[in-house]
Amino acid sequence: MISIALTALLLIQQPDTLAGVTVTADRVLPVLKPVEEVFLPAIKAPPVQVADVLRRFTGIQVKDYGGAGGLKTVNVRSLGSEHVGIFMDGIQIDNAQNMQVDLGRFSTDAIGSVSLYNGNKARQLQTAKEYAAGAAVYLESFRPVADGGVARLRGGSFETVQSSLQLDKVFGRVAVRAAAEYLYSGGRYKFPYYDTTLVRENGDIRSLRLDGQVFGTVRGGEWRMRLYSYGSERGYPGPVIRRAAGFPFSAERQADQDAFVQGSWRQDWTSAYSTAMRFKLADNYTHYNTHAEKNPMTLPYDIHYRQRSAYVSLAQSLVLSGPWSVDLATDLQYNTLDSDVGQFVSPCRTTFNGALATRYALERLRLGAHLAWLGAWDTYGSRAGGFTRENSFRSAWMPSLSVSWLPTSALELSAFAKRTYRLPTFNDLYYAIMGNSALIPESATQYCLSLRASPLSSRPRPSGPRGEISTEFLASAYYNRVANKIVAIPTASQFRWTMLNIGIADIIGLDLKASGSYQADDFAASAALRYTFQQALDHSDPESRTYGNQIPYIPLHSGSIDFSLAWRSWNFIWNTLLTGHRWSRTANIPDYYLPPWSTTDVSLAYTKKLLTLSLGVNNLFNHRYQIIQGYPMPGTNAFLTVTLHF
Amino acid sequence: MLAAALCLCACQPSGEENDKDKTLTGEKVPVDVDLHGVNKVFLLNEGQMGSNNATLDFLRLADGNYITGAFKKMNPDEGGGLGDVGNDIAIKGNEAWIVVNNSGIVEVISARDETHIAAIPVPTPRNIAFDDKYAYVSSWAGAYVTGSYDESFNYVITDSKNPKGQVYRIDLKTKKVDGSVEVGYQPEGLAYYEGKLYVANSGGVSCQLPPDYAYDNTVSVIDCASFKVEHTIAVAPNLKSVFASTDGRIYVTTMGNYYDVHSGLYVIEGTKAGKVADYVSVASICADVVFCIGAENEFDWNSPGEYFAWSCKAGKQTFHNFNFQGIVKPYGLLVPDSADFTADVFIADAGDYFNPGTLHYYRGVEHKWSVTTGVCPAHFAIW
Repeated sequence: MISIALTALLLIQQPDTLAGVTVTADRVLPVLKPVEEVFLPAIKAPPVQVADVLRRFTGIQVKDYGGAGGLKTVNVRSLGSEHVGIFMDGIQIDNAQNMQVDLGRFSTDAIGSVSLYNGNKARQLQTAKEYAAGAAVYLESFRPVADGGVARLRGGSFETVQSSLQLDKVFGRVAVRAAAEYLYSGGRYKFPYYDTTLVRENGDIRSLRLDGQVFGTVRGGEWRMRLYSYGSERGYPGPVIRRAAGFPFSAERQADQDAFVQGSWRQDWTSAYSTAMRFKLADNYTHYNTHAEKNPMTLPYDIHYRQRSAYVSLAQSLVLSGPWSVDLATDLQYNTLDSDVGQFVSPCRTTFNGALATRYALERLRLGAHLAWLGAWDTYGSRAGGFTRENSFRSAWMPSLSVSWLPTSALELSAFAKRTYRLPTFNDLYYAIMGNSALIPESATQYCLSLRASPLSSRPRPSGPRGEISTEFLASAYYNRVANKIVAIPTASQFRWTMLNIGIADIIGLDLKASGSYQADDFAASAALRYTFQQALDHSDPESRTYGNQIPYIPLHSGSIDFSLAWRSWNFIWNTLLTGHRWSRTANIPDYYLPPWSTTDVSLAYTKKLLTLSLGVNNLFNHRYQIIQGYPMPGTNAFLTVTLHF
Repeated sequence: MLAAALCLCACQPSGEENDKDKTLTGEKVPVDVDLHGVNKVFLLNEGQMGSNNATLDFLRLADGNYITGAFKKMNPDEGGGLGDVGNDIAIKGNEAWIVVNNSGIVEVISARDETHIAAIPVPTPRNIAFDDKYAYVSSWAGAYVTGSYDESFNYVITDSKNPKGQVYRIDLKTKKVDGSVEVGYQPEGLAYYEGKLYVANSGGVSCQLPPDYAYDNTVSVIDCASFKVEHTIAVAPNLKSVFASTDGRIYVTTMGNYYDVHSGLYVIEGTKAGKVADYVSVASICADVVFCIGAENEFDWNSPGEYFAWSCKAGKQTFHNFNFQGIVKPYGLLVPDSADFTADVFIADAGDYFNPGTLHYYRGVEHKWSVTTGVCPAHFAIW
């Protein structure tokens, strides 16, 4: 379902899906292709959350605390989730407080495609932040091409009910999409605890998404606006620990109100010069309450946070000669964070990102290079006063080089090297008594060599002869180093912790993927096999006993087996995810061993005219596992979905 | 951090021959520790909060075996192990009482073979001390909620308005909670001396709460006979450990406010507190000597630990040293039988606080051996 091969074949069935992607095409060929790309409207029974799409991609680890409301973050090639940029319609979803983007909050109903780039995407008119990301996940939505809509109702395990409605309307050059989505999940599930069975409590969630988009075209250009609002209220069940009878595990609740408005305008001014302007205003409000009155075992926190950000970006592109282009991107962002937590300093950050990029791309040989610069100016003050304004400026240069060579149309060799930095978060720098305002940005250096072969089909075509077969093989070998890694360590006074730039991780990895598809008149089949090897070693302190050990939560081996069958009105999808053993600490000892796990999800969909009925069963073999130690994942669960396209 | 009871109750007669934990073996260390009549040195590893990895280690002096994770090994039926955050351990007779903070449990085990005797529910318990009849456990619970125990001694929440901490009294025979008394904000260490219980109040949570955002700075003095607070004594912000010397002076360590008041060691005589020394983060008392580890400036993460001994009898500092070799992060301290740091010294080293730590043994300041412990080795007891 998630392989390029399959989506390519599904595109054949639904050629209109992508019709509105871009009006102005790239004038110079791309250097690197996405490592993974999924077109969601083409899937009859897509997974509910974006995290469920991403977890199958090669080189990716999704941290998942379990349940519909549990935090889900994505780590690409062991760089750490802070180095992964999540871009919605080309504009980054960011979080200056802790750089955690919870992918559990993004429903597949809101998104057209999900793609992953490890190297630089290197397309025309990118934002500077795209150049600055260690790895990038793109969540794209597409311009509606006709009036219509989608209504969806889903229900099943954990007392889950989800409904969404999307309406599309086209008025000549302007198209409008409005969507709403509601989710409730009780979040209760059984899990084994040594020789007994317990039930996960306080894991319920309700959320509402309201989403409006306007797409327009002008002569030689296109523009779009999006108004997005997400509100949720959820419980955090907490880690499973030994607890005295009568005391609950957790009564923590969190309420969120996230809203943003963003827009972009892309214009070709001459045959050689183009610009893209983008903006975003975001407001994120969080109310976190431990509800100590219901739980004597917790600290009495009742805290409110408000994050605001304003962002503008100008990207310019100039074609110097046929295959040669130069891009200049300049982004400016302002972030603030306020809270009523004790001793809180209210930080403000002004960030400038600039990138100068060039591409020289012939049909057979393509070169890309860029140099990006990041500068961030912080100011902060406190209720009590007495904090300095030292160390308020941070900057970094970020170079990148990529090359691809296509000796034949079915074979591509590519390589990239790049260095990116992530800024310390507001929490790293200023959190109560723990933050350290002297932190410098954390760096990620990547070297990657890839081979892509598609022996039976040169490239996906929107239409082809009947009985078409396509195959693709992809192999990537890489070495990454994360340095000046920000880690929490205790101070000389054992009761106060601080953040320091002392971590180093060296990662050697191999991603392999083989996929194939067959398309006939009323029958289609596809399959994809993926394997990832990652040796991610802690090289922070040669004196330490754990020097040279595998870093926490990174499996040496992982992979997936996917296949799908489509016959007339029927669609069947099988996904198996395999993860080898891991350690929850850098001490790779039996106490902190996490056994291998595997889950298999299947779905069957039946389509009759405008109506699709699908049944999805997740964790078919009821495997009991934990992705994060102390957070048991659910056993077998099932959902029934009715989708109406009109 | 160390209960005053540690040394007062330390010297017990030798264990019996058929202790069930005799078969346990671990890393062997060359024992020439000269502790008369002591069978075991227990070391409680706090673990990391939320990770359910508090563990109990012990050094068997008879054969030099250092056994890790002894509770789990001797109690395989207690699947979850000791629990989450081992905050204190103290010996009473042939029992070891272990305070498991985030599990809400005071775990009583046999000191002979670490087998489970009782798990007593107490909300957010912190530290423990004894008199002849009762165990006294300080608890932060009042800061969140108050409650009572039902017929089967499960905790039932009744009210959530009381902002102060409690000291719970547990009957040594029945192992049941028998009343509680309100003390200051977030009480930590306690010390017993001649019918009085001295409780160090930290305010570790109230410092982050409106309206005052302030640490507590008082010692609550409880009369054990009436089980009521008699009076409170102001010391300095953020109290941590409290010890009683044989002549009735009360020593208190303070953590400071991490801003403009440093940590320190204070002595209470009568109702007045006076400063003894600056910079104390880990302290222990034995034979009327208060042993401390501090740092010249605890605001500086990288400053070396300073080790000093304060003789209660002499009323002066008797030893001062800038560092013991090979220690990353001193987190626990045991000087079982000496007038200063010149004899047996056990220092628990928490390393990176995330992975297993190290126990170092010194004779004088000379390093003799080290052994791997659990995560965040912190609290010692000897039996």
